[in-house]
Amino acid sequence: MSTQPVIDMCLSSRVIVTCGTGGVGKTSVAAALGFEIAQQGKRAIVITIDPARRLADAIGLGEGTGNEIQRVPLDTTGELWVTMLDVQETFDSLVRDTSPTPERAKEVMDNSFYRSLSRSLSGTRDYMAAERLYDLCEDERFDVIIVDTPPSRNALDFLESPERLARFLKHPIVKFLVAPSRGGFRLVNAAMQPVLKAISTVVGGDTLTGTAAFLRAFDGMEEEFSRRALVVAATLRSASSSFVIVTAPSRDALTEADHFVAELSRLDISLKLIVANRMPPHFGTLTATEEHSMAQSQSGDLARVYELIAGLHDDADQADSDIQAFIQRTSSAFPTVSIAFATELATDIHDMDSIGALAQQLAAPPTQQ
Amino acid sequence: MELHPFFTAQRVLIVAGKGGVGKSTVAASLAHLSARSGFRTLLVTLDEPANGLLPHELLEQITVSPGRALADYLATKGLGLISRQLAKSGIMELVATTAPGLDDLLVLGRIKAFENQRPTEVIIVDGPAAGHALDLVRAPVQLKRALGTGPISQQADEVLAMLSDPARCKVMLVTTAAITPVTETCEAAEELMEKAHIALAPIVVNKCNPAVPLVDEEILLPSIRQAYNYLSLRAEAQSEAIGVLTDSLEQSQLHLTQHHSDGTALINAIADDLEQAIRDLP
Repeated sequence: MSTQPVIDMCLSSRVIVTCGTGGVGKTSVAAALGFEIAQQGKRAIVITIDPARRLADAIGLGEGTGNEIQRVPLDTTGELWVTMLDVQETFDSLVRDTSPTPERAKEVMDNSFYRSLSRSLSGTRDYMAAERLYDLCEDERFDVIIVDTPPSRNALDFLESPERLARFLKHPIVKFLVAPSRGGFRLVNAAMQPVLKAISTVVGGDTLTGTAAFLRAFDGMEEEFSRRALVVAATLRSASSSFVIVTAPSRDALTEADHFVAELSRLDISLKLIVANRMPPHFGTLTATEEHSMAQSQSGDLARVYELIAGLHDDADQADSDIQAFIQRTSSAFPTVSIAFATELATDIHDMDSIGALAQQLAAPPTQQ
Repeated sequence: MELHPFFTAQRVLIVAGKGGVGKSTVAASLAHLSARSGFRTLLVTLDEPANGLLPHELLEQITVSPGRALADYLATKGLGLISRQLAKSGIMELVATTAPGLDDLLVLGRIKAFENQRPTEVIIVDGPAAGHALDLVRAPVQLKRALGTGPISQQADEVLAMLSDPARCKVMLVTTAAITPVTETCEAAEELMEKAHIALAPIVVNKCNPAVPLVDEEILLPSIRQAYNYLSLRAEAQSEAIGVLTDSLEQSQLHLTQHHSDGTALINAIADDLEQAIRDLP
């Protein structure tokens, strides 16, 4: 096994995807990997599709900047850039790019169904994350693209969204709605009738008409749409993409990490790296038992202090054994997976210096961790 | 504050918070506390039932699945057969795509139905992550705009009436005492109150570390000093985060301590903490 697995991964990947549940420091790890790539003299961009904008907090970018790409001022030969995913902006620019004429682009963007579709966050966000990744992969300004997935169970949905979109656009009912309509939906064939009726019952006839108008305006663009979606899907499954699971040692976080391991197996995607983040630190040379007995031999505030220190030690021992068990389980599914550790800092990661310190911990040779 | 006015201040309490703050455990513990204090309680979870929550004669638990909300809705409208056909052909996905937020609205609609149908005094909803709570409550407004008229639009009206009435519904935000989640909680609170006109219950600050007594470092064994400094720094960062929360939001706070147990033991421990914190409220 390599003596510097994190650095190797940073230097050999075109796309790095970090996944993990909320509260494990996933966004900070994504930024730290970007920092490490910049240290190695290459150009990295971190894209976060987490609407909570934690990356912005961590690197001091402050309030939302939409899709704008920003360079983080660093004293390195390489470069670190960051950007957010603005769903509406991405969708608009996709429509402008793929539309045969500016008039057609305007027609799509004026459609009320389009507006509500692009504003909704769940499914559309997944499509647009994939689309944004396509754009960044085409961009020669960056060597490595780091995708920070949203902190949810469904974070990996965006991996399947290209296929889902392509499938959706090829769906018979979509094709039917796109076909030029004479006399509204009255000429619908018999098989389609009850289906359309059921849809109208639920969402109202206006929606169906609006949807049809949107899909018609969209006609001709969907081919390019599908093509891009499939390019992204292929990139994510290629050897140049690396997947990273970030976890903390808490039971909740490890349960979610197990879920991500299972998801990656299901999607037939290989796991490159586990980051065991927010590990409680070990201090001093005493054992937890020795610290507990010192607490008992003291009284008052001093006894309390020793008790707290012994408690921290217990937490750290427990965390070590829980993480080792997780690594064992995961190694049986992914025998080549590497591990990197980082300790929990006393304060939240809130600036570039602490990101740099995290990067240093992650890049340290396994023996020193 | 006594438990009675706390639990009866609203019919529906939606517990929301970002991942990692322990939102689901807080919701389950709150339901446990409510039932053991003598209130007929319903806990609604999304997708999965609560882990480690023991049965109680006054406690009922229901799991609602947003992914299946549309199929369930069609079944209640006597369209079960069509709904199964739709699901099979993959068209359900298309409908959900054409009316984004539909699932969210239907979930809220079911919660509203529980409010009317059940002899329950307290309804606690283990809601979605903080950011997604906004999506959830925004759904009725967006759908109304997109759909115009029809049964869904009417459903949206009824849900909005429930959400904006503080006697019927409040949102309880859960955070931990660190600056990043506190900042996000403040943002979510402002959006909920200003954009969605939803009232907030007291804010839960979960997983608080114990205070560290101030001692002279010199009297500590040298090998222990580093650990002591770490604990002190951590406690200081925690007070700072709580200070930001207090300055930004006028809601009172319920502080719960960090526990290392899980399952039923954790739910019991947090229920005890919650009871104490509620009684300590002015």
